[in-house]
Amino acid sequence: MKEILDEIVNNVFKKALELKVDDASVIAVYGIENMARFSNNSITVIDTLNEAAVFLYMIKDGKKVVGSTYSVGKDELDKFVGRLFSSMQFIEKSSDTVPLPKNSFKYLGKNDYDDKIEKLGEGIVDCCERAINAALAEGAKRVSGTISANVEMCKIRTTGGIEEEDRVSYMSANIRAFSETNSSGHGLSCSTYLSKFYPEEAGKTAGMFSRESKKVGHWSEGEYDLIISPTVAADIFQMIGISASAFRIDTGTSFFKDCLGKKVAVESLTVEDYGTIEGGFGGRKFDDEGIPTQKNTIIENGFLKTYLHNTTTAKKYGTNSTGNAGIIAPHPWNIVVSAGDMSVEEMIRECRRAIYVTNNWYTRYQNYMMGEYSTIPRDATFLIENGSIKYAINGTRISDNIPRQLLNIKAIGKDRKWIKWWEVEIPVYTPTILVEKTRITKAQL
Amino acid sequence: MSGKNLDLEIPFYIVREIEETGAEYVEARLHTREEIGCILKNGQLEPAIVTSSYGLGVRALFDGTLVFSATNIIDRENAKKVIEETLKKGKNASNLTRNKIKFSREKRIKKKWAAVEHQKLMDKSFEELIKMLRELDNIVLEEKDYIPMRFLELEISAEKKLFTNSQGTFIEGYVPRLYIGGFLTGLKEGKSVQKTIEFGGSGGWEIITELEVFEKFRKQVQVIKEILEKGQKTVPGIYDIITGPEVTGIMVHESIGHPFEADRILGREGAQAGESYLKPTDMGRRIGSEEANISDDPTIPNSYGFYLYDDEGVPARRRKLVVNGVVNELLHNRATAREFKTKSNGAARANKFDREPIVRMANTYVEPGDYTFEELIKDVKKGIFVNSFMEWNIDDIRWNQRYVGHETYLIENGEIKHPLINPVIEVTTERLWSSLDARGKEIQFWAATCGKGDPMQGAPVWAGGPYLRFRNLEVKTR
Repeated sequence: MKEILDEIVNNVFKKALELKVDDASVIAVYGIENMARFSNNSITVIDTLNEAAVFLYMIKDGKKVVGSTYSVGKDELDKFVGRLFSSMQFIEKSSDTVPLPKNSFKYLGKNDYDDKIEKLGEGIVDCCERAINAALAEGAKRVSGTISANVEMCKIRTTGGIEEEDRVSYMSANIRAFSETNSSGHGLSCSTYLSKFYPEEAGKTAGMFSRESKKVGHWSEGEYDLIISPTVAADIFQMIGISASAFRIDTGTSFFKDCLGKKVAVESLTVEDYGTIEGGFGGRKFDDEGIPTQKNTIIENGFLKTYLHNTTTAKKYGTNSTGNAGIIAPHPWNIVVSAGDMSVEEMIRECRRAIYVTNNWYTRYQNYMMGEYSTIPRDATFLIENGSIKYAINGTRISDNIPRQLLNIKAIGKDRKWIKWWEVEIPVYTPTILVEKTRITKAQL
Repeated sequence: MSGKNLDLEIPFYIVREIEETGAEYVEARLHTREEIGCILKNGQLEPAIVTSSYGLGVRALFDGTLVFSATNIIDRENAKKVIEETLKKGKNASNLTRNKIKFSREKRIKKKWAAVEHQKLMDKSFEELIKMLRELDNIVLEEKDYIPMRFLELEISAEKKLFTNSQGTFIEGYVPRLYIGGFLTGLKEGKSVQKTIEFGGSGGWEIITELEVFEKFRKQVQVIKEILEKGQKTVPGIYDIITGPEVTGIMVHESIGHPFEADRILGREGAQAGESYLKPTDMGRRIGSEEANISDDPTIPNSYGFYLYDDEGVPARRRKLVVNGVVNELLHNRATAREFKTKSNGAARANKFDREPIVRMANTYVEPGDYTFEELIKDVKKGIFVNSFMEWNIDDIRWNQRYVGHETYLIENGEIKHPLINPVIEVTTERLWSSLDARGKEIQFWAATCGKGDPMQGAPVWAGGPYLRFRNLEVKTR
């Protein structure tokens, strides 16, 4: 892997220098993903993806171009750099050009790469079997899911004198179990270490929820207190991270516009973005401009403390890069939500009329700036009355407003968990959250 | 891209070698995609974008176990590794393949096809793309007092696929595509309105005229201004609903197209995009009124979802999903066709070399009826014309759905009145399509990128249809 990356980066960098660009940043990535998918307790496909890609950012005379290619032979890379360079003659000079940073940095590295994941190979099928059997043992009749083993190595070289590399490994299991009545449950396990990856736990959780949600009862549209599991909270908090990007502020796609320094959430909530954190597999130690990634406290005790920047947006906002480039759009790496001190059971006991949502999907916005959105709970969803679960309910939709909900958080759980799955692209470490007075709607039958 | 001989040699070699080990079926797809694009953020040009992907996807079926491998390091040495890896995975997974996968046998085909392209898209320079975006940006600037924030992007791409399989099929396909996206934020006196705008099609630069990009973009800008100036609160209640083609399109895509994907019905997407309200035994089930006639057709010229042969080497054709309100045909690939004891109707698509072909929509629409727009609203006493939308979602069996209107107007006694703010339709699939009582004469399409699969695949699609009239739907507000 390393030899291939070195060769790619050096070829592209050399070619860019030959063309006498003012600045260049080359990032090469080599990744291997082994994935097994199954449904109805049976494997449906085994995937092996083995690929290298290179990303190049060049500046010359105030003109900026960025590109990526999967054609990584030397001749193809030369052509790619040449094509990218020649396209610069047709573009306008940017008024916001910022030179790439010079190397005077100290990089914080994490050391949780697990060789065992790289070598897992066909062992992934065994993981599937363990997850399926655990769900079936809980009473499920059908189990579907994906288990993947991922390793990725990344190297950067810039005209600012930066030359660094990093690598990441992680396992993920996304399991869904169905009972004979088609009630369903969902379970996840994500880890940077094979030894901390628990496909059985994911299967067991999915199977248990499919069993516990068989008894379904009536409910009415209205306002409820809402207990959201880490899986659902992760969907909300990844949007908190995304909405902190200065690019989103500029394009009107954030509910944090003009909120810097202001109270945006309850005092008990702190949300951080980390480039490198043990257990986090969404980041690396350098961003796309070569700046070290860091811990950025987005929300501290309820107050919005920072937007996420690259050098260009930082210049516009009169601040420093936060190590979140994205050449075009700054983005979060891993989101970490502060832990509280309540268990899920204690939250349930606190509620007189509430809904407990264990999974969700399809979050869409009517207005990003106002935070008006809806999302659909899926799998086990329970009605809570007078401190205990009454029965499962179907057909719910959370239809509310993120800024309002951040101020309506009533309790934060102590059960933090890493979440990343089909619906949550940015790894989020979050506990269960209790939000007061959330609007839940249902469809006309 | 590598040399021409190599392009053909490696996939043929891989298919031959794997087939000789006793695989039931093998296919290889060399898949390239070149893109250039530019972005204007509030009039500021962001870095120009050039991307290319090139690689090989291989699929093999061993005794009912399906294996997919992909690589972009394409030489003999790596080809041998791909073969070894594929064989090893197939053998190892067979113990857990309790439901053996079989493929339908389809005709052997040798064909070269391409979308018709008069003014070659990839000949366009950044200068021309930026000029085009600036012209659109200037339309927004004319109303800068109402629309202070804007994001515009333009992307042109060329996709080429070389496909071969163990049945002796060899197909070479080429599709150039254009995509224009916008996100506008309207602000005035404490009111805020946002709209995502998308145009997409296949063919040459001439499709900008076909898609009426400038006319429709200008209209969207004026709509935002009108909502900010004249929008009134929606009063919840029961209304007749007239949908415009954009809303017709999202409704049909979400509540008919997706649940008619046969792989979902068989449970293959259970842990990701979900399953379907349809069961395998539901052919002939009524799900709407006699007016519900819904099709999907990849062969529409200039469409964003255009193709003539799918990524399993099967000819594309129109699929009549719903006829007179009754389930008529599903979307199939080779595996689901075999399970349903039929033939594939060419719905297998892969969006990149490193993605397996899965069952997808192409261009999904409600067939036209015989009403003019005026005739549709003439006898509506209390209704809402929902011409476009912003927020929407649907549950994972595609039954419980929600559409929140963007450009919407009250209808009273057959007349269009003032714009409304955020009317919400939240309805089940059967209720929705059973309420349909009339269809307009002309159909229009809208472009979108449809997500499905794991790893995720975004597929270019069109969705659309005519103006539709639904009776007695409940309308809420945000």
